[in-house]
Amino acid sequence: MEGFTVALLIWTLVSPSSSSNSKAWPTHTVCREGNLEVFYQSCDPLQDFGFSADQCSKHLKPKLNIRFGMILREDIKELFLDIALFTKGSSILNFSYPICEEDLPKFSFCGRRKGEQIYYAGPINNPGFEIFEGEYQVLLELYNENRSTVACANATVICS
Amino acid sequence: MAPCASCFLLVVMFSASCKAITSSDQMCTEKEANKTYNCENLGLTEVPDTLPNTTEFLEFGFNFLPTVENTTFSRLIDLIFLDLTRCQINWVHEDTFQNHHQLNTIVLTGNPLIFMAETSLNGPKLLKHLFLTQTGISNLGFIPMHNLENLESLHLGSNYISSIKFPENFPIQNLKVLDFQNNVIHYLSSEDMNTLKQATNLSLNFNGNDIKDIEPGAFHSKIFQSLKFGGSLNLSVILKGLQNTTTKSLWLGSYEDTDDQDLTSDMFDGLCEMSVESINLQKHYISDLSSATFRCFTQLQELDLTAHHLRELPPGIQGMKALKKLVLNVNRFDELCQIHAASFPSLTDLSIKGNMKKLDFGAGCLEKLENLQKLDLSHSDIEASDCCNLQLKNLRHLQYLNLSYNEPLTLQSQAFKECPRLEGLDLAFTRLHMKGPQSPFQNLHLLQVLNLSYCHLDTSNQHLLEGLEGLRHLNLQGNHFQDGSISKTSLLQTLSSLEILILSSCDLLSIDKQAFQSLGKMNHVDLSYNSLTGNSIDALSHLRGIYLNMAANNIHIIPSPLLLTLSQQNTINLSHNPLDCTCLNIHFITWYKENLQKFEGSEETVCANPPTLRGVKLSDVKLYCGITAVGIFFLVVFLFLVTVLLIFFIKFLLRWKYQHI
Repeated sequence: MEGFTVALLIWTLVSPSSSSNSKAWPTHTVCREGNLEVFYQSCDPLQDFGFSADQCSKHLKPKLNIRFGMILREDIKELFLDIALFTKGSSILNFSYPICEEDLPKFSFCGRRKGEQIYYAGPINNPGFEIFEGEYQVLLELYNENRSTVACANATVICS
Repeated sequence: MAPCASCFLLVVMFSASCKAITSSDQMCTEKEANKTYNCENLGLTEVPDTLPNTTEFLEFGFNFLPTVENTTFSRLIDLIFLDLTRCQINWVHEDTFQNHHQLNTIVLTGNPLIFMAETSLNGPKLLKHLFLTQTGISNLGFIPMHNLENLESLHLGSNYISSIKFPENFPIQNLKVLDFQNNVIHYLSSEDMNTLKQATNLSLNFNGNDIKDIEPGAFHSKIFQSLKFGGSLNLSVILKGLQNTTTKSLWLGSYEDTDDQDLTSDMFDGLCEMSVESINLQKHYISDLSSATFRCFTQLQELDLTAHHLRELPPGIQGMKALKKLVLNVNRFDELCQIHAASFPSLTDLSIKGNMKKLDFGAGCLEKLENLQKLDLSHSDIEASDCCNLQLKNLRHLQYLNLSYNEPLTLQSQAFKECPRLEGLDLAFTRLHMKGPQSPFQNLHLLQVLNLSYCHLDTSNQHLLEGLEGLRHLNLQGNHFQDGSISKTSLLQTLSSLEILILSSCDLLSIDKQAFQSLGKMNHVDLSYNSLTGNSIDALSHLRGIYLNMAANNIHIIPSPLLLTLSQQNTINLSHNPLDCTCLNIHFITWYKENLQKFEGSEETVCANPPTLRGVKLSDVKLYCGITAVGIFFLVVFLFLVTVLLIFFIKFLLRWKYQHI
């Protein structure tokens, strides 16, 4: 019986653990300035992506400039963004916003194809607002007209 | 040592079985048996043996094939569509597709191509679509041109192409779509354009190229299906350069992230020198907008001024009498009358969707648009207390009206009397108020499609849908019915032509057996996301060959008399119901397994009861509902005991009898 235990132990150590397939992507920092810290992690099991914002403060300016780089795994003739904001486990805000539509491609990258690598450095059409003190979880999801995920991010905003 | 060895054997077997599972995870997914397969994101270095030779459509993106050569796909000679997106392909060697005579589409998007051999695309008899997007091409001579005579679309976006000059003898004649998006083309010369001269009705896409100059005459007397110059920084250069050209559509829109100049009216003078049917100018701003701006728009049939910061269209625009379609979405009008509709008497199609301000519906603002057939006023915060005859005055030819996603509208009887020819009416997500039992849709004899989802209707008003004798498609999703029940005398009674009925998310608990009795033509009934039980199926007993969606309801047991009703339908969805998998439901389960092809969503059609079978697919359930083995055992024991007792009793009786003799 002892032999069996040893063998089982060796097996669990040697055999590829199933959890290694679903290893999480690293957490990246969008910014850490003054009393605001923003982190994100890709929740698309297939890939990571890069994102940063030019300015980071409690008083968020309208028309922020951002940078992002990623590989498209879907066509983005139509692209939608869902945002869900939580604090202390309760939901505060949910909304959905069209980024690319057939009759209104808002950004120059609209209409690019599956497999293309895109890099965007430019403004987004956000309103200016004040971030209140606290810790927030933000779930962002980009998807196309077939509801296929284009990008997914779990972000944490800590404002002190 | 022996037990230890056997333990190791056991362990090896365990890990082997584990491996088998992981490798089966790496399998391609079958979308259509023997024909269509998706093998994306599997890190494959070759075509797996599991793919049948008959594969026609293969999505093979995001794998690893540094070299593709004639052995790579040699087995799959029936291929019609081959997607090799981002497979890290460096080399496409000679005769790769030599035996693929049927191949019609090759996608090579996102591969770092170093070289394509002269004969690398030879073989296909009718190669029609070639995607070379983001493959690092800087020179059009890179593309092997020996087998491109039948090419209809060539996608060359996101490369480093600076000149569109094709090599001599490049077969252009059948090309319909030529896509140069996001390249570095700054100059278009006559010589460049002349290489495209053989193509007729070409759609050319130059979006995301910063065109700085066009040689005068470069587009002279050329005919295009569409021309796109989206995101161009200098629109006047383009409008000047397109002199004497003919194109069906011209896309000159801008984007949030392009720093374009404000447009002035004189920039459009170039339009007088060309022939265009449709123009898109989205996200621009015309600084000196006046009626003179549109001086050269006289031939135009379609104009799109989406997101133009417009507060008003100038009154008295002359010469836009030919305009058929006008798109004014995402602007800043206060009142509908500010578009001065009288300037566009031929308009058949008007869209003012997503207005950034609360749009006042006004009165008779569109009355001069006698030919209007399609009107979209959705997402514009329209509110009206007495809708819609005054507002839609004189729109006699209107066939399609979209007022969805607006603020509350108060409707009275015959609310759409001014548009008697309506065929489609969309009021989804707009609250509808009515004072008393009105019939707002009366006289819409031609109405075929009516969307009233999430309108907060008063469904107890039996006259609500009166007069819709031609209605074929009705969406009542998200409305509530009194007591959660549809009665014998519900508002649906009058809709004898109805074919499609959507009653999902209506919080329904029951449907009367006779509720749909007068709806004999229905072929699509969606009752999903309610709390209906199996007995509601009785209401469909008079229907045959329908699509029935009862997903996400409260169906436990389907009594066997109702199986007849189900068996006469075409397609049924019973997924996400708390189905009972005990012997009480044995007739249904047996019938379900015999009729699996009828069912949609069978992956999600699972048992909820008994607890041991919770989550098991109904198609996998095996029930034995005769007498069980234990039952038989007890029965045998019981009979045995009874026999023994009987024997003893008889013995005792005989003994007692004889004792007395």
